[in-house]
Amino acid sequence: MPTVGSTPAELAAAVEAASGAEREALILAALEHSAPLVRDLAVRLAARHVEPRVLGTLVADGANATRRNGAISALEWQGPYAVPYLLEQLASPDPELVMFSLQVLTRIGDPSATAGVASLVRHPDLNVAQAAIEALGRFRSPDAVPALLARLDGNLWLQLAAVTALGEIGDPSAVGPLLGLVPDSLVAEQAVRALQRIAAPESLGPLLDLLARVAERPLRDAILEAAGVVLDFHPDPEPVALAFGRALAEDGAAGELAAFLAGVLQETEAAPAVEPAVQAAAGVTLAARLAPLYPLVLRRAGDPAMPWVDLLWRQHARPSREELAALLAHADADVRRGALHAAAFQPDDLPLVRARLHDPDASVRAAACRALGLAGDDASAEALVARLDARDAGERAAAAGAVGRLGGAALDRLAPFLVPGAPADATLAALEALRAAGEGPFERELLALARAASPEVRTAALRALAPRAGSRIDVALVRALGDRDEGVQVEALELLVGRGGERTAATLIALLSAADSLRFRVIRALGRLRVARAAPKLEALYAEAPLHERVEIVRALTAIAAPGALEFLRVRLRAEEEEVRRVAAFGLADLAGPDELPLILRLAQDRDWALRTEAARGLGRLALAEGRAALLTLARDVEPVVARTARLALSQLSDGSGLAA
Amino acid sequence: MTAVDAMECKLLCELVQARFGLSFDGMREEILLSRLRPRLAALRLHSLMDYYHYLRCHPDREREYASLARQLTNNETYFFREPHHFEIIARHIVNERRESLRSRPLRVLSAGCSSGEEPYSLAIALHDAGLELRGIRWEIDACDLNPDRLARAREAVYDEGSLRACAEADRVRCFEARDGRWSLRERYRRHVRYFEANLAVAETVGWPPYDAVLCRNMLIYFDEAGFTRTVRLLSRSLAPGGYLLLGHSESLIDRSDEFTPTWLDGAMIYRKLSAAA
Repeated sequence: MPTVGSTPAELAAAVEAASGAEREALILAALEHSAPLVRDLAVRLAARHVEPRVLGTLVADGANATRRNGAISALEWQGPYAVPYLLEQLASPDPELVMFSLQVLTRIGDPSATAGVASLVRHPDLNVAQAAIEALGRFRSPDAVPALLARLDGNLWLQLAAVTALGEIGDPSAVGPLLGLVPDSLVAEQAVRALQRIAAPESLGPLLDLLARVAERPLRDAILEAAGVVLDFHPDPEPVALAFGRALAEDGAAGELAAFLAGVLQETEAAPAVEPAVQAAAGVTLAARLAPLYPLVLRRAGDPAMPWVDLLWRQHARPSREELAALLAHADADVRRGALHAAAFQPDDLPLVRARLHDPDASVRAAACRALGLAGDDASAEALVARLDARDAGERAAAAGAVGRLGGAALDRLAPFLVPGAPADATLAALEALRAAGEGPFERELLALARAASPEVRTAALRALAPRAGSRIDVALVRALGDRDEGVQVEALELLVGRGGERTAATLIALLSAADSLRFRVIRALGRLRVARAAPKLEALYAEAPLHERVEIVRALTAIAAPGALEFLRVRLRAEEEEVRRVAAFGLADLAGPDELPLILRLAQDRDWALRTEAARGLGRLALAEGRAALLTLARDVEPVVARTARLALSQLSDGSGLAA
Repeated sequence: MTAVDAMECKLLCELVQARFGLSFDGMREEILLSRLRPRLAALRLHSLMDYYHYLRCHPDREREYASLARQLTNNETYFFREPHHFEIIARHIVNERRESLRSRPLRVLSAGCSSGEEPYSLAIALHDAGLELRGIRWEIDACDLNPDRLARAREAVYDEGSLRACAEADRVRCFEARDGRWSLRERYRRHVRYFEANLAVAETVGWPPYDAVLCRNMLIYFDEAGFTRTVRLLSRSLAPGGYLLLGHSESLIDRSDEFTPTWLDGAMIYRKLSAAA
């Protein structure tokens, strides 16, 4: 018998050289190897080559814990292939064996096991019952809900497991029973977390009431987060939230709750652990119209890491004119900026916004520019254009965006910035305004700036020209493909691809003749545009092209999917270069029809895991019953990516038999 | 994650592992992807697969590998991070070797030094321990894969973030404020030497033998082979009985027979066995 070897590579070689019982013995011996890496590979090889029943005998053998652990891991790797065997084992009189089987089923997470596992929630061995409940949570099948609701009383651990499982399943029929556990039960906090996961609209009112009533901090934190999530998912939370706000005022409880929410909103750490609580506090504050807390919410508006602040404000906040004026004049610049960023202003509000163009803080001025642009305030055009020459880059960019949005007559004011000698930053800002506008005046000036000395200005001018129609624009962009600066060349190419059209296609095909550094990108562009008539030229270019272009040619021909592409790909599967073979396999997975099934089945046995992955993807796309056996084998592949892809493909099989092995 | 996404991730993880010995599989895939995105944007590429092919096949791939190395090793650090290690060197290791340190300097290597916060923190700790007054000389070597970071280390001018664990008194004592940034005073710079090294492929490192090597929060990025190779390299760089100090989430237990774990001041550090080469 060959030896296992001392490294994963030696084990792999030994397994490849062996077959049948000899191979199986080799793999099972390697499950006990002293080196963790060899054991890890042995587990994956066992999943691929050893039947579940054989692995099951190792699981049942309590004398050898190392092999037992390896066999359990291998069964888990086998996934759907092992499920029928594991379900059989649930009837074993040995509770330990049942436990192991349940654990593996839980990790596999196949919902088809729900009925078999649900029968165990009343198992006399409490450990088995708990494991069954946890498994049902993992399967997420609503069919398990009645069995779980029946376990919400009695043993605490089973209760806790059932509450968690109900949350994982997310079925709204569990909302009433879960609310019944809050606040006076040992599993109250867990029940609130489950309600958060279910996020049923009917739980919003009760959760808000609990938020006002419960003072105990960990439970209250949980209720707040749950309320925030339910609020977020609720189709129409306003009536419930407003009623809550009114009740708070009538009960005189608003101050106490506001103090709690203020504490949460003032958490300074932007750590992931804190953000859900802050988001929930902001949601409740705005929905219940707790106006004194608005500044604490708005301080966070405009932060790209917290886009939810703006969304929540627009969804829930309805400040009066006086409240808005106070927020825009707030002593804290962050609040002023946040208000400008988050609010959607009505015409009557605009004088308040225009006043902020003179704010001492540059970020507030920038936010005012942005808000005026979004509001389409033509009366601000002159003031906005003047800010294209501002010292602060953020203010210039915001003003450019606003002028672009205004369009029309506002753009006419840009003339002084588009002539030679204008400050470069202001010219760039004006060009950005024209780009944002899309259409507009100054075509002649833009064409001149596309030949300016500065590559930044040339690039910005090309970007401003690209959205416009006309052959002179095409000419400018094509000419820029020969720019002395590579960055400008690449930008011009991207802009041409964005324009599309016959002229662009013809230009790109013509550029294939020039063997320069841009050709790589031209090939990619032809693929992105799916220019069918480029296919013959691309195929002809293949033989003489360097490797990086050959790879892109194969990818482009796949994207174009012209007649003859499959034959081209078939030949490339025999290419010497690994990368070419891989992109050809990718193309085949995308384009193959049923006639290519034998070829894909051969790829499924290739030594290269990337080709096996593509085979799995292709089999999933074809969804032919004839591919199922190969997919079941690939679903136990030693490479996790292959196995995962095959399992996904199995679920796509049209006969619905995908996951039932 | 789609099947194509998963494959792109694996291809890039394999490539990075083969090239740099850095492992980003499993939970760390996201870290890798977040560090690759700026490179995709810079090259005007649209997908991870585009970038993979660029690294495998493009004529400019070597230049791109250099940029990628900078991106991958762009680890944030700060002064006085896990400061107990500096105390251990300044107190225990110096005392243990004080006889031999009469005739030679204490030698310490900061492996994966990034922009210099670690070796300079050690320099400050050794200076504060009064080694010079006791006639003990010391040298700190510091290496990193990323030349941009080394340039920043040599410049020794830092932003507020690098000083976030600095007490106000230390800030004033060790740094000079300059245009809103903080310049390390010359007396803390003079014993630190920097050099570029890729520990995943290096045969030797620095000027051994060292009395101690700091290699913190770097081994977590290595695959098993890279980990073993790097630990052996660091072992070769240490004098017999020298110490290896790792980050709090890193361990040599059951992973190296060249070191023995030792508890000092509540921290686990690793002592090179005298018999190890």
